[in-house]
Amino acid sequence: MSQVEKKAGLLRRTSSSKKPLKEKVVLMYDEIFAKEDPAKNNPRFWDELFLMKVNLEYLESKLESVDGEEVQRIQDNINSLFHHCIQALGEEHQIKVVNALQTLCALFRGVHQKNKSASGFDIINMLMGFDKAEQRMKDLMERLDSLLCGGGSESLKSLCLKLLLCLVTVTDNISQNTILEYVMINSIFEAILQILSDVSSRGQHGYDAVVLLALLVNYRKYESVNPYIVKLSIVDDEPTLDGMGMVVHQALTEYNRQYKDKEEENQGGFFSTFTSMVGSMFIADADEKLSVQTNEAILLALYEAVHLNRNFITVLAQSHPEMDIPTTPTTPTPTTPTTPLGTTPPSLDIILCFYLLICCVVMNNPELPLDPNLQTSNLLITFLKYASIVMQDTKDEHRLNSARLCLIILTCIAEDQYADAFLHDDNMNFRVNLHRMPMRHRKKAVDKNIPSRPLVCAVLDLMVEFIVTHMMKDFPMDLYMRCVQIIHKLLCYQKKCRIRLHYTWRELWSALINLLKFLLSNETTLLAKHNIFHLALLVVNLFNMFITYGDTFLPTSNSYDELYYEIVRMHQVFDNLYCMVLRVSTNTGQWKEAASKVTHALVNVRAIVNHFDPKIESYAAVNHISQLSEEQVLEVVRSNYDTLTLKLQDGLDQFERYSEQPKEAAFFKELVRSISLNVRKNVSLNTLSQGVLLKEFSTIS
Amino acid sequence: MEMDLGADQVINPEVALKACQEVLLMDKLQNREAPEQRRDDQQQQQQQQQRFADPTEGSAPLWLVSPDACSIKEEDEGDEAEEEGRLHRDPSPPPRPAPPSLLPAAAASKQSWLLRLFESKLFDVSMAISYLYKSKEPGVQAYIGNRLFSFPDSEVDFYLPQLLNMYVHMDTEVGDAIRPYLIHRCRGGITFSLLTAWLLGAYSSDMHISTQRHSRGTKLRKLILSDELKPTAPPPDALVPVCGSPPSSPPRSRCHRRHNSSNTDSASLFSSAGPAPAEAFLSPTRRTHHRSKSDATTASSEPGSGLRRTGSNPKVEAVHEEPERLRPQRELVKSLLGIGKRLATLPTKEQKTQRLISELSQLNHKLPARVWLPTAERQHHVCRIPHTQAVVLNSKDKAPYIIYVEVLECKSFETSPVPVRIPETRIRSARSAENLDCGGASDANNVGMMSEHRAGSFSTVPNYDNDDEAWATDDIGQLQVEVEAQTSSSDNISQFSVDSITSLESKEPVFIAAGDIRRRLSENLAHTPTTFRRDPEDPSAVALKEPWEDKVRRIREGSPYGHLMNWRLLSVIVKCGDDLRQELLAYQVLRQLQSIWQQERVPLWIKPYKILVMSSDSGMIEPVLNAVSLHQVRKQSQLSLLDYFLQEHGSFTTEAFLAAQRSFVQSCAGYSLICYLLQVKDRHNGNILLDSEGHIIHIDFGFILSSSPRNLGFETSAFKLTSEFVDVMGGLDGDMFIYYKMLILQGLIAARKHMEKVLQIVEIMQQGSHLACFHGSSTIRGLKERFHMSLTEEQLQLLVEQLVDGSMRSITTKLYDSFQYVTNGIM
Repeated sequence: MSQVEKKAGLLRRTSSSKKPLKEKVVLMYDEIFAKEDPAKNNPRFWDELFLMKVNLEYLESKLESVDGEEVQRIQDNINSLFHHCIQALGEEHQIKVVNALQTLCALFRGVHQKNKSASGFDIINMLMGFDKAEQRMKDLMERLDSLLCGGGSESLKSLCLKLLLCLVTVTDNISQNTILEYVMINSIFEAILQILSDVSSRGQHGYDAVVLLALLVNYRKYESVNPYIVKLSIVDDEPTLDGMGMVVHQALTEYNRQYKDKEEENQGGFFSTFTSMVGSMFIADADEKLSVQTNEAILLALYEAVHLNRNFITVLAQSHPEMDIPTTPTTPTPTTPTTPLGTTPPSLDIILCFYLLICCVVMNNPELPLDPNLQTSNLLITFLKYASIVMQDTKDEHRLNSARLCLIILTCIAEDQYADAFLHDDNMNFRVNLHRMPMRHRKKAVDKNIPSRPLVCAVLDLMVEFIVTHMMKDFPMDLYMRCVQIIHKLLCYQKKCRIRLHYTWRELWSALINLLKFLLSNETTLLAKHNIFHLALLVVNLFNMFITYGDTFLPTSNSYDELYYEIVRMHQVFDNLYCMVLRVSTNTGQWKEAASKVTHALVNVRAIVNHFDPKIESYAAVNHISQLSEEQVLEVVRSNYDTLTLKLQDGLDQFERYSEQPKEAAFFKELVRSISLNVRKNVSLNTLSQGVLLKEFSTIS
Repeated sequence: MEMDLGADQVINPEVALKACQEVLLMDKLQNREAPEQRRDDQQQQQQQQQRFADPTEGSAPLWLVSPDACSIKEEDEGDEAEEEGRLHRDPSPPPRPAPPSLLPAAAASKQSWLLRLFESKLFDVSMAISYLYKSKEPGVQAYIGNRLFSFPDSEVDFYLPQLLNMYVHMDTEVGDAIRPYLIHRCRGGITFSLLTAWLLGAYSSDMHISTQRHSRGTKLRKLILSDELKPTAPPPDALVPVCGSPPSSPPRSRCHRRHNSSNTDSASLFSSAGPAPAEAFLSPTRRTHHRSKSDATTASSEPGSGLRRTGSNPKVEAVHEEPERLRPQRELVKSLLGIGKRLATLPTKEQKTQRLISELSQLNHKLPARVWLPTAERQHHVCRIPHTQAVVLNSKDKAPYIIYVEVLECKSFETSPVPVRIPETRIRSARSAENLDCGGASDANNVGMMSEHRAGSFSTVPNYDNDDEAWATDDIGQLQVEVEAQTSSSDNISQFSVDSITSLESKEPVFIAAGDIRRRLSENLAHTPTTFRRDPEDPSAVALKEPWEDKVRRIREGSPYGHLMNWRLLSVIVKCGDDLRQELLAYQVLRQLQSIWQQERVPLWIKPYKILVMSSDSGMIEPVLNAVSLHQVRKQSQLSLLDYFLQEHGSFTTEAFLAAQRSFVQSCAGYSLICYLLQVKDRHNGNILLDSEGHIIHIDFGFILSSSPRNLGFETSAFKLTSEFVDVMGGLDGDMFIYYKMLILQGLIAARKHMEKVLQIVEIMQQGSHLACFHGSSTIRGLKERFHMSLTEEQLQLLVEQLVDGSMRSITTKLYDSFQYVTNGIM
């Protein structure tokens, strides 16, 4: 004790001239980083340490500055600190718990920053010591679990989640984070579920819990058995799944709302008139303004839930009354303890809590009169709206990733039988306002009165919208492939279940034909980067689906005639395509086989063109009409079906089921990496306000 | 009479009978002072009653026995009987068991005329109710009160509204006479308890607020809802096989109940917010799933994983207390009515429908539970509400809606275990097989499709996502089922023409004609039954037009419970803000007339639909299946009624059309008479349904007897008979039109014969009621007059001619229709 005082006195003397007074806690840190056991002279050292306000920067920088040899020297002390942190988590005194949690955060971070190159084993050794690591981590996880599930303070729970998020994201590549092996063994899954199943805890911690889960699921996904994947895939408790869906729903809704606000801001002002006057050169600027930070973490969570858990599909269609979230909540609800650390921007958190609070009130109080302007919404609708915004602009990396993930999620949904059932449910009609990109050649349909239709119509609309808006030089081939495959999967379902969807198929047909046209006219540039024949084959086979199986899913007899009309009208495109693929397939080259597949696929389309084209011409000649009306052409089509023979093609209604491995593994690895970086950046322990905590705990303890 | 009741009666009929006799004797003694006058009254009543009650056996009059003689005899034995009689007048206990040997002696010795009537086979519930209402003698009332125990429950149930209205609004003696029976039945069953409580609430509402609070009805209602009336004996079809004997050990039976409820009622989430533990009764699908779960957890449970907790439902422990008997059902009704109230606040039909669907889906989380639809015939538990099928019905400012309800039938909803919840996504994979079946319906052109389908299903297996083990195993299990289902349907494939199969094997191209595809498309479209266009302003039209069988099949396919043998689909209309008491009255009258016509073998057709009154402004209605309103028919088809018949059933000479026409005529006759007798008003086309067999069905009896909408004096005609109706019947000179008039005449003659039975229903309900249909003083008199008791059959025939003639030529009907069109948009 005397030594400490002496030391302090010494420091004080020097600091009085140069530096301001050193905090007590800093002195104690220094002691830890000295050789000797700090408790040797002061048996109450650890008790005292956790009563001090943590100085994160100092501790982290201290850890960073330790070099190789020193590590050996102070390892025992760091082990000891780690050990005492865990012990402090069990303390009744909540201040100690808070400080211990934060110290742990600093420890994890500091050690990792220092040892970017070091192996995970070294890090474990440095923190806990090899021999004791297993026991230490078991203790830690158990303590965290009981804190998360216990009836303690919400701020504590929030801190626990931050610590976990911090631990999960300390490495860029989550799979290289060896400490997580212990998190796998000592599962925290049940605690996460419990947070999600409870309405109030979901409101406050749901977002962090969902992000944490999404990240944990991605730990060594492809290399080993990840218990979180196993567990997530079999959850069937509806309140929990619903809770997860709600969290995702809220986050996406919030994004959509922010986007809409920005959009309106832009439209209303001088700027929009200006851009329309000057022209397209400023559109890019306007777009810039419109971009709202996308949230891939929540999207990843949605993907994992949809992909892994088939019970989650029901949640997609679970309707919730869509609340008009106030843009600026005038009074942040006093009953909600605001989370001291924010992974999300705090405003969103508050709004989220506010929203959920309203939800609770509504749910608990069925007599509450409701605003008649509320539109019922569900997660799927919100997701579709979100996707329509994200897909508008795929130029930057984040948005491209988001768009790709959206399409992957839609692929999973389109493959699921239950999801298809409710997508096509004639009784579940919704108006889905998809966002459409303003383009030069078309007016932005503002508040076009969208009819209330089955949800699959919105999905198809979204796909059509994507097809027509992304024919650009930097061709997103991958997205196009997914898009066309989604349409194909939906058609297969309709054919199988004989569902006659009242959809304006014409829009889809003309979009697809335009796509072929684009592929043709940019053949050389595109071929340098992509296999365009694969996409062309998929598109032609969509037409083949309509031609050969149209009787099973087209809504009216007229729609079959219209299909022929559209093909005959645009026969030039098909002729050119045929010429092109024939040319490539006769040459020897890498595309030979791919191109010849397209030639075979084109046989029925060509039969139709060759059959009807002369008939129409002769009809025109006989009747002396230069320009036939649509009705006249349809008449010719109708009267000449019987002499046309088509070839039945194999496998039109089969598709390759989506599989994450091996095709998508690289994408997800990169995605998780970028999400980790983002989450790490946002788990800012600096925003911690000791004041709030002190205030809270002074009353408790 | 006693014999056929014995099997499922708790009360020994002999005991009840004896009790009745004793009471009657005592009554005689008490009123000895003025026996003559009273006897005259009763004799008159009885004569009248007898005349209408059973004309076939009326030739053997029972009252020929000298009344004086037997009354003397009674006096002799009266003294000792009085004591026992007292005991039974005590309202609380149900009759005690008594040695049956006493009965023959007693019956033989007491030959009173009234007693003989009461003991005779002719004495039915209808008469009992009538005497209960008319007799001013406390003794007779008490006797009948006890006698109620001996009638089958179902027969008394029909008169429950009358009984309760008397209980609420008539003097103490009547109330005291009925009370033991009510209490006994409430102890016996949840359904009866709830129905009684609801009706009591509804009928008490007409009293002044100050008296209401302390009235008998309100008190009894409170008693029932407090759930103090627990069964003292096991319910009728509980597991105790003995009948008629009192329960040997009540503690044991209670144990049994509790055991059940701890297993099952904890699953009924209407009692608590916690999720269901429900491990006890596992369906096969559930069990396999559980296995996979435990597999997964053991696979991952390394030595270190000490964090065991019931992860998905941490609150299991909290649910184990015994829930109130009535609560789940009351909660269900409350939430359904709550939805109705909230819907009424939304402006558009579309919003209402969406809101309805989302609210119901929330409700679904809490099912299955120990809840049931009181309108259904058989015992069941509600297991799921297919929420997407629910629709809002057409109404101007209220929001009635129809829901479809999946139920699982069971022996007794009170004691049978509540079914275990099956997650939504667990639809039978047999669905794909079924689609194959219908896809391959003998059409040779489908072969290509079919075999590809098979090939496809196999090729998907290796492609299937193999991300991780648990997921994969889980899925392959599922897939195997699917593959099995598909191979089983390969029987169909083998039946296809051999050449196409071989052609596929030899990889020779298969050719199809474009014309065939086009033809199949139009044929397929033509074969599907005519559906209505989806109209956001009239969402119910499409839902109601769909044939019931199709709907059941469709919902069954999409339901996780669909594979269960005892699965049934029911439907119910929930009405909020409407007083259904008049509807209930109309239902009773319709039922009574229906049974009269059946008894008299007159082929008039009517469809009384069940009504559940839950309060004076809410309730539920049993929907009429396969029926749409004439308004919807007209708006959707844009055809005249006759043309619509031709479109739906075929041309004039076809069997189907003729059958539909006959149904139409019979139902028209039935409802014409109903409309005339009850003075049903507000007969616009939205209130008349047409079912798939051609029957018309009148709904909405909001304006009957003395009330008429807005008292505009429209609709002065006896009933609605438009020229469109006459056209369907084949014109004024057609045979069917003559048949129609004949049916009305026959129906009227039959109804006249049993007028008392009809009159009584209405008359009792008038007691203390403020309903609009009883407005004025001449309601009953008017109703009586419309039966035209005094006319000869020839005169009646003339009357019917006049009525039909008048209705047909009535401009007011037409005027009223156009009035409705202008004001409400109903065509």
